[in-house]
Amino acid sequence: MLPQILKDKVDNVLYNVVDALDAGFSILDKDLNIVCANEKLSSILNLEYDPIGKTCREVYKCECKDNKYCSVFQALSSGKKQFCETQLITERGERRYIQNISTPLKDEKNGITHLLKLSIDVTAQEEKIHQLSLLRKLAELMQGTLQIDRLLHLILTCVTAGTALGFNRARLFLVDKERDIVYGKMAVGPSSLEEANRIWSEIAKKYEKLEDLIQASEDNYRDDTPLHMITRLMAYSLRDENEVIVSCVKNKKIIWERDAFHNPNIDKKFVNMIGANEFVCIPLIAKDETIGVICVDNLYSKKPIIEEHIQGLTTFANRAALAIENAAAYKILSEKVRQLEETQDRLIRSERLAVIGNMAAYVAHEIRNPLATIGGFARSILRASNQDDQIRQNAGIIVEEVSRLERILANIMDFSKPVESVKVASQINEILENICSLMDPYFKNGRIKLTKIFNSMIPKIVIDPTQVKQVFLNLIKNAVESMPGGGALTIETIVEDKHIKINITDTGEGMTAEIMQNIFVPFFTTKVDGTGVGLAVSHKIVDDHGGYIKVKSSLQEGTTFSIYLPI
Amino acid sequence: MKTILLVEDDKNQLLLYKQELLLEGYNIITAQDGQEAINKVKEHTPDLIVMDINMPKMSGIESMGRILSEHKKIPIIINTAYGSYKDDFMSWSADAYIIKSSDITELKDKIKELIGKI
Repeated sequence: MLPQILKDKVDNVLYNVVDALDAGFSILDKDLNIVCANEKLSSILNLEYDPIGKTCREVYKCECKDNKYCSVFQALSSGKKQFCETQLITERGERRYIQNISTPLKDEKNGITHLLKLSIDVTAQEEKIHQLSLLRKLAELMQGTLQIDRLLHLILTCVTAGTALGFNRARLFLVDKERDIVYGKMAVGPSSLEEANRIWSEIAKKYEKLEDLIQASEDNYRDDTPLHMITRLMAYSLRDENEVIVSCVKNKKIIWERDAFHNPNIDKKFVNMIGANEFVCIPLIAKDETIGVICVDNLYSKKPIIEEHIQGLTTFANRAALAIENAAAYKILSEKVRQLEETQDRLIRSERLAVIGNMAAYVAHEIRNPLATIGGFARSILRASNQDDQIRQNAGIIVEEVSRLERILANIMDFSKPVESVKVASQINEILENICSLMDPYFKNGRIKLTKIFNSMIPKIVIDPTQVKQVFLNLIKNAVESMPGGGALTIETIVEDKHIKINITDTGEGMTAEIMQNIFVPFFTTKVDGTGVGLAVSHKIVDDHGGYIKVKSSLQEGTTFSIYLPI
Repeated sequence: MKTILLVEDDKNQLLLYKQELLLEGYNIITAQDGQEAINKVKEHTPDLIVMDINMPKMSGIESMGRILSEHKKIPIIINTAYGSYKDDFMSWSADAYIIKSSDITELKDKIKELIGKI
């Protein structure tokens, strides 16, 4: 039984109830035009006009194009109450999740004349659920990301993405135990208010799904933003515990600074670098050790940071720390694997060289004896024959050919012979000068223009001068031979990274990639009368000296051999 | 006339050296292994020995050691296809170490240097 007061002033009461309702309220006629609506509806939907007189679809911006899926239409045709949840972008570009209840209103004859539509804004709950599921998926993804820079950027993207943790800016600091410092590694976020506004106007429509977020992380991976560069300049000694970041590392506790500008206990320089009055530093802890710090703020939106956000960030930071630890371990591991592979390659190569060497030595000796006999008799025939004799000519050919074979054998035996090297402190420049003056006539004959760029500051190094000379001779001879029509030869000595680097550059024919791959393989040659041991021997000698050779070559332009000998 | 003992297991090579050195005017005796060389030295006491190393029965190095223990003055030239015996200190007691080649000028020059002609 309604109290009399309600019965008397039903219009007035109803009006007040509808207005006080924390839900959007509207009444539609049978053509689905809005005939009545409360103010809450306008505020939920961000309407900037009066909804009365407009159609339902126009105002609610629902996405169902077909009447079959339209809850309002179904309520009208079935005469039953219908629930539905829609997701829409309001006129101001905000994403909203709305729950709608459509109830048919009937007249005395039980005919439906109108529909009552109640709309509840569930955006906050939906976003919470969405955020949680997104964070969970991200955490999974992080565990699988082993490339450390990509991972770090992904982490910061998650911290700043509106649909994830939604902070304005995030900076990442990493601990470097060797150098005893914590330093700024990277930062994500707009560098100015204009940029912030531009991003936010786009963000409501984009980056909703996990894939979008990852894509955004990849697309926006830039290391030239002002924020990033300022962050990279920040580094603090781990002994300086007054520094905010350092104390966060040491105490493994969150630092939540609400009024940095007026806090006398906080270093002004640091506040200036951060540039925000309120910020939060959160330690990244993996296996009980702080490996870094994430520092976030809401500089542009000025939204106060709340407990809930920090909780989300903490959960996320723990996962992130583990992922970073994983990626770092992976990096170390893959470096070790690479070293192992290199060692294995070297072992295989030296093993192969040893086998080839043994075989070559055996074959060479077996051939050398009969060859000496053949050649010896040919010489005696040559001596006994008359001038202009056919026999003389033929014997001469045998002598020549045998000599050629003997030269090749000598080469191969040099290669296979294990030599005791005699190492003394030597000046590379002197050795090169020596070779250059030795080869001067050879350069002139081949129309080779020689340029020497010797660094007079290079120190003496302990090498076997005879062997190293052999290397230079081989490489210089090759260089000259690659320029049959003449050209420029440049020999340069440089100190580089605890090595003396000797560049031998020609302007010759250059090499194809295929040839480059094989040049150090014993007995590989492109020369008509080459034995293919010159470079193999050179490589072995440099290797024995603890150095290495690098080659750069482009066809028709020339080749540079760089020999690195350790100082 | 100076006598040279040629020690060489390869028949054809032995023939070559014999022919060449006869032409140079030396008296030539030959042996085909280390043991035979020791016996020949006992019989003839040559003025110089040209010694191969890699031979059956007894290697040139061992044979040389035995010969030198009794005849310290006889010059010995090692004539081999292998450069590696140079590292064997036993080979250092030879007066010369020559690596075999079809061109035997080096051998001839060495002999001339050690015992002169005739």
